[in-house]
Amino acid sequence: MSSSSKNLNGLEVSKMEDFVKEIRTKPDVVKNTNGPWRSRVTWQGGLKAKAYMRNHTVTFDEPEGLGATDTSASAHEHLLSAVGACMMTGFVYQGTLKGVKIHNCEIALEGTFGDIRNWAGLTDEGTPGYPEIKAKLYVKADSDRKTIERLWANAWKHSVVTQTVARGAKIIPSLEVL
Amino acid sequence: MAKSQLFPVTVVGSWPRPQWLIQALRKRQAGEISFDEFNTTADDAVLAAIKYQEDANVDIVTDGEQRRDNFYSFVVEKLDGVKLMTLTELMDYMKDRASFEETLRALDVPAFAMRSPVAVDRVRRKRHLALDEFEFLKSHTTRKTKVPIPGPYMLTRSMWFPGLSDKAYPVIEDLGRDVCSIVRDEIVALKEAGCDFVQLDEPVLSQVVYGSEGEETFMCAALASRRDPTEELRYAVELMNLTVKGISGVKLGIHVCRGNWSRREDVLLRGNYGPLLPYLMEMKIDQLVLEFATPRAGELEVFKEYRGEKEIGLGIVNPRSTTVEQPKSIERRVKEATRYFEPSQVYLNPDCGFGTFAERPVNDAETAYGKLRSMGTAASNLRKAWDGRANP
Repeated sequence: MSSSSKNLNGLEVSKMEDFVKEIRTKPDVVKNTNGPWRSRVTWQGGLKAKAYMRNHTVTFDEPEGLGATDTSASAHEHLLSAVGACMMTGFVYQGTLKGVKIHNCEIALEGTFGDIRNWAGLTDEGTPGYPEIKAKLYVKADSDRKTIERLWANAWKHSVVTQTVARGAKIIPSLEVL
Repeated sequence: MAKSQLFPVTVVGSWPRPQWLIQALRKRQAGEISFDEFNTTADDAVLAAIKYQEDANVDIVTDGEQRRDNFYSFVVEKLDGVKLMTLTELMDYMKDRASFEETLRALDVPAFAMRSPVAVDRVRRKRHLALDEFEFLKSHTTRKTKVPIPGPYMLTRSMWFPGLSDKAYPVIEDLGRDVCSIVRDEIVALKEAGCDFVQLDEPVLSQVVYGSEGEETFMCAALASRRDPTEELRYAVELMNLTVKGISGVKLGIHVCRGNWSRREDVLLRGNYGPLLPYLMEMKIDQLVLEFATPRAGELEVFKEYRGEKEIGLGIVNPRSTTVEQPKSIERRVKEATRYFEPSQVYLNPDCGFGTFAERPVNDAETAYGKLRSMGTAASNLRKAWDGRANP
């Protein structure tokens, strides 16, 4: 099989190599890939929301205990999933570039609110968010443990979502009342 | 039974697989090598497993389940109409994914590592379940032989999944009848080929009794649409008795444990066999192959009301621990068992296999061998102790 048609882990390796080459050498590709990235979140009644991202949509709701209808996962659960999915993307991407065949891969994430009363506006103390997020990778791959450990460390160190969360991105709110 | 034949030493089934066999298994699962090519590779592993057992003075040997990826899902190679699916794939068909996630976290296992054979069409036998394994074993040992096969309840329960199986089998009982027929044919074939002992594995029975509540659950195998435990246990008895009805000339056992996928005792189920015994006693089988090597399994006293009703395959060493049990401690436990069983009814075995799941063995071959040797030494000492005395 020629390197140009090599498929590993369901990915076309030559395409990935081309992309890496491009962002290494072409500033305009870097600029375009950096973004901006966008999402538009629309209210769907109750505590339901729908987000539009390029040509994709995701729905949100809250558990029934909050008076909602629990038709979708909560936003904070999507955040956990986004952290995990982004780390998985990095792990698989870097692993594939290094020629590691991944048979299976799963990340279990968990977070506990600092204080739900803060979210409800009952106190300003503490944080309503997750003070920490646990993420455990389960993986079966044709590689030695050391290589897997390095890939996993890089997966969160270089993850867009993980680093956005870990470094606390500056949020710039604005408002228009119609 | 002559005193020299008392306290036969046997195993529950699996032996840790060598790394080269696991590599071959992965290739087989990826479709890169054929069933026959894999089996040729596995022959060497089986020979090694037999040698370990013979050297350790095991009286009734198995092939170490070397050809199987685990004790039940290997049936996909043997049956038409069955698809091997990971729990990741099955999650799309589950109603109560939230409680399933709780179980995954409690057990600290990924969904992709657990596979279940799921009936996606009418189930028909393509090959014998274990006759080929037995024939190879028989031709390479002079010892008595045991073949573990999945029990009818576990196979039925793990294979029937709403959304996937109900086209071919609208209700689980329809599948149950086909499964009983397949398992029964296998027992008869094994008997006719000269097998001494067929063990029916039903570890999920303890999950039915002690597992967390929830519509879907799993311990060793996925169980969908679980009903009330009493109903489940009655159904298990019905399936077992339908399977073994009228069969004689081969020893039949049932193995029930509390999980064997982790060395962490805290994630495995606990609870004595008391709630299960009324149902196990109703089953028309000869021997109960049970775990008694850890406190999680409770005390032997639960047999007080059932004294001598069945033989016991006494789980006497922990397959998951790194410490090799001393023969003296094994002998003490066996003597305790003779309060509730005749000496001729007591067989010695580990709590479970040493490599229930091919990729997650619970011990290495060296330690496992040490444990078998300890059992062999203990059995020899016990036979001497019983020689000429009714109850030493």
